[in-house]
Amino acid sequence: MRVWAHAGQEAERSTLESQVRRINEADLPFGVELTFIPERSYNAQVQAAALAGDLPDVLEFDGPYLSNYVWQGHLRPLGSLLSQETRQELIPSIVDQGTIGGKLYGVGTFDSGLGIYARKSLLTVAGVRIPNGPDDAWSSEEFKGALERLAKDDSDGAVLDLKLNYPPEWFTYAFSPLIQSAGADLIERPGYERSGGILDSPRSVGALKQFQSWLQKGYVDPNIDDAAFTQSRVALSWAGHWEFQRYHEAFDNDLIILPLPDLGHGSRTGQGSWVWGVTRNNPSNAAAAGFLEYLLLPEEILAMTAANGAVPATYSAIEGSMRYREGGPLNLFARQLTEGFAFPRPQTPAYPVITSAFNQAVQEIRNGKDVRTALSDAAAVIDQDIADNKGYPMPDEH
Amino acid sequence: MKRVLGGISLLLVSLIYLAPVLFMFIGSLKPDADVLVQAGSWRALWPDTASLENYRNVIARVPFGRYLFNSLFITVAIVAGGLLVNSLAGYAFSRLQFRGRNLLFAVVLALMIIPLEAIAVPLFYQVTLFGWRDTYIVQIIPFIANAFSIYLFYTYFLGLPKELEESARIDGAGVLHTFFLIIAPNALPAFASVAILTFLTQWGAFLWPLMVTSGDAVRPLPLAIATFHSLPPLQWGDIFAFGVMMVAPVILVFIVFQRWFVRGVVATGIKG
Amino acid sequence: MATGTCSKRSLPTGLLLSAPALLGLLLFVAVPFTLAFLLSFTNLRLGSPLPLEWVGWEQYRRIFSDPAFLRAIANNSLFALFVVPLQTTAALVLALLLNRALGAVKLFRTLFFLPVVFPLSLVAIVWMLILAPGPNGMMNAAMESLSLGAWESRDFLRDPDWALPAIMLTSIWQGVGFQMVILLAGLQAIPRELYESAAIDGAGRGRQFLHITLPQLRNTLIFVMLVTTMLAFRLFDQVQIMTQGGPLRATTTVMFEAVQAAFTRQQVAKGAAMTVALFGIVLIITWIQRRITREDREIA
Repeated sequence: MRVWAHAGQEAERSTLESQVRRINEADLPFGVELTFIPERSYNAQVQAAALAGDLPDVLEFDGPYLSNYVWQGHLRPLGSLLSQETRQELIPSIVDQGTIGGKLYGVGTFDSGLGIYARKSLLTVAGVRIPNGPDDAWSSEEFKGALERLAKDDSDGAVLDLKLNYPPEWFTYAFSPLIQSAGADLIERPGYERSGGILDSPRSVGALKQFQSWLQKGYVDPNIDDAAFTQSRVALSWAGHWEFQRYHEAFDNDLIILPLPDLGHGSRTGQGSWVWGVTRNNPSNAAAAGFLEYLLLPEEILAMTAANGAVPATYSAIEGSMRYREGGPLNLFARQLTEGFAFPRPQTPAYPVITSAFNQAVQEIRNGKDVRTALSDAAAVIDQDIADNKGYPMPDEH
Repeated sequence: MKRVLGGISLLLVSLIYLAPVLFMFIGSLKPDADVLVQAGSWRALWPDTASLENYRNVIARVPFGRYLFNSLFITVAIVAGGLLVNSLAGYAFSRLQFRGRNLLFAVVLALMIIPLEAIAVPLFYQVTLFGWRDTYIVQIIPFIANAFSIYLFYTYFLGLPKELEESARIDGAGVLHTFFLIIAPNALPAFASVAILTFLTQWGAFLWPLMVTSGDAVRPLPLAIATFHSLPPLQWGDIFAFGVMMVAPVILVFIVFQRWFVRGVVATGIKG
Repeated sequence: MATGTCSKRSLPTGLLLSAPALLGLLLFVAVPFTLAFLLSFTNLRLGSPLPLEWVGWEQYRRIFSDPAFLRAIANNSLFALFVVPLQTTAALVLALLLNRALGAVKLFRTLFFLPVVFPLSLVAIVWMLILAPGPNGMMNAAMESLSLGAWESRDFLRDPDWALPAIMLTSIWQGVGFQMVILLAGLQAIPRELYESAAIDGAGRGRQFLHITLPQLRNTLIFVMLVTTMLAFRLFDQVQIMTQGGPLRATTTVMFEAVQAAFTRQQVAKGAAMTVALFGIVLIITWIQRRITREDREIA
């Protein structure tokens, strides 16, 4: 059985390699042949392989592409493959992300966490309130005040790291929660038929105007060396779970993690990560099921999340994780995902166009373009694409 | 006096001009944290804390030897294949008579102006359908036949004296024999020119491998360094070490074969 | 060149010898180009289950009303407009300096040619750090000491006014050595006697340059400038690595837009239309080249 996975960080890769080795040594009726594909061109690779009729049996892919692959008919529903017990263990964000039209097509062994990393000592000195959980986030006024006060104590006034050095997808992942928190979204849900009037609604414009003002006031470090936080140039870093290890090594117990600011409709966060799916090329359901069930065993999930630091995908694995269980330093990320603070990125085949249009708009806003114009342009591009594809009718054969 | 001044100013200009190269070489010997911090001062060009740590890191983090082999193999295959195939075609068009020759040559000239970029998208579709994705073949075969190389050979062969072949023909030598033993040895500058231009173009190939390769197995250096650069954590010392390892072999080749490099480049310029 | 001696026998030989090259060109240039042309009239989307439709000129209508694509063409043109004269002038100045350096010619030629063997992707990465924002950036620091502190440090690659010039500088740095070597050879091919007799006639350095050097170098200069112009319209690597077309599309190019459309957004037909447009531009440049060189022949 052929399996494709993304070439993530080294620890992640070697964990998966040893999992596969254990499966192959376990005298099961199937063997697994694992290939790593670089992240940057992953989707293009999948498309090319599909074009050549050369997809593997089991495919890992980035969550937001799920609906695209379902629409293209590459994936099988996992329905009968996973046992009832396994499915019940999955946390809500994993189920949401993997479900299209009521059917589960993809399942991840971990999910991502997004928040604001901060130094407790700096916040205390500046007299900034420390929020107590996802439902206790800073309001937008408080966040602005915090930036102002922190900037006063800072040599260059840049106190916030937004990971501006990251690749394009980051901007959709990290900043769409901002407009969702203001009560807007990238596109209308759940029909996914229209972006105009939503992405460029006054709420959305207001949210990104705040974002723009942080940049214009000089609060944001460009972070070109990816060391703004670790070198103490900034007090706050808007970042994902993957930074915990590095930040923790730098600041130990002074490091705290806070929810993203609440712009009026509750704090929102990003979610979604790499998930597994079974392609239509796969002749043996039993092998694919065996593989996925194995990866979803609590101890295997924990092995993986110990390697990549991500949020475990099942309740029992979260319980078993020192970091994510209640009282653990990363419990906030687990709570955000299990208590409904995260929406999946739009589950429509239009996603590649949505994310490209949105991050283009964010880049423009970052560079000072009028927020309303930038968002209207993005919405128009998205709506055009939906119209071109006749609304992306989902195949109903499944 | 004037000459000395000219020499000094030239030396100064070349120092400034080569600052980026020095920056890379020296940065590759420094701890990651120092590279960026010192970039704004003269210390960036002074190896105060030299070590080979970054080089060890690169070797540990990525299969550098693999990339190097890939790049060399692909480039050498294209250069060798291209020299053979295009010189034969250039020879046929310049020295042999056959029906349709002028028409065919006109087509070749027309194809010369189509840049790879203009056909990259459908070519990608095409090779994917051939099942060539992520192989050496897909990075080699499409680039062997080259209209511009044919044209360079054509103009060079045209300038060779007729007597060369006539004497060969009197000896009763066949066409291939004549070409390889008589014509080719008299056209070494043309071969050098094509070889070097092809080498420089293919050695730096980025767009095409970006589109058609996925794994480390067949990925060439220019793409590998771009991927390396985007792989967190960002470590400039390592990136520079990667860069040095990547250009050092070519610089050596260039210094050794400098005469031919220059001659090749010159032949292109004059002929074009 | 028809000698008539080899009519029948070499009919298959000539074809045979050129066949491998012709086959390669057919399969990997002619066919994909035809395909690009055909695809640009359809709605092809990578992997779409929707049926392929003929949409006529729709893709072209769209790209030519797409501000991003128009900006891309403008950027490529700006790039050519600045880089071609600047790079050629710099190369010429270097070549003139080197031409008089006598013994040291080889050393300096080696030094200035060095960046040419650097792949563009590596050049782009090294220059990203040189152009880094803040006083830590090498370019910022250099400008500051040159201006005696009057320079206000900036983030070149994220500043809409500076990003394209920064990429231009990077490209000139990498490309100038190649041009210089060609021009140097052109200079060395000019017969000494021309200068000697001019000197006897009392012509100064400036007049010698205008009346001997430039006219003698004309063809070489035209060649060098046209190659650079073509490359300017194919600009991609530096943009992909350094700026991703940003900020505010200040550095987007035709090829960058085409790759974005075809691969990131999977709109293959749109990407194909853009590359066909690129071909049109290259065609026009080539046509101009033919015109200039033809005039040249008439003059000569």
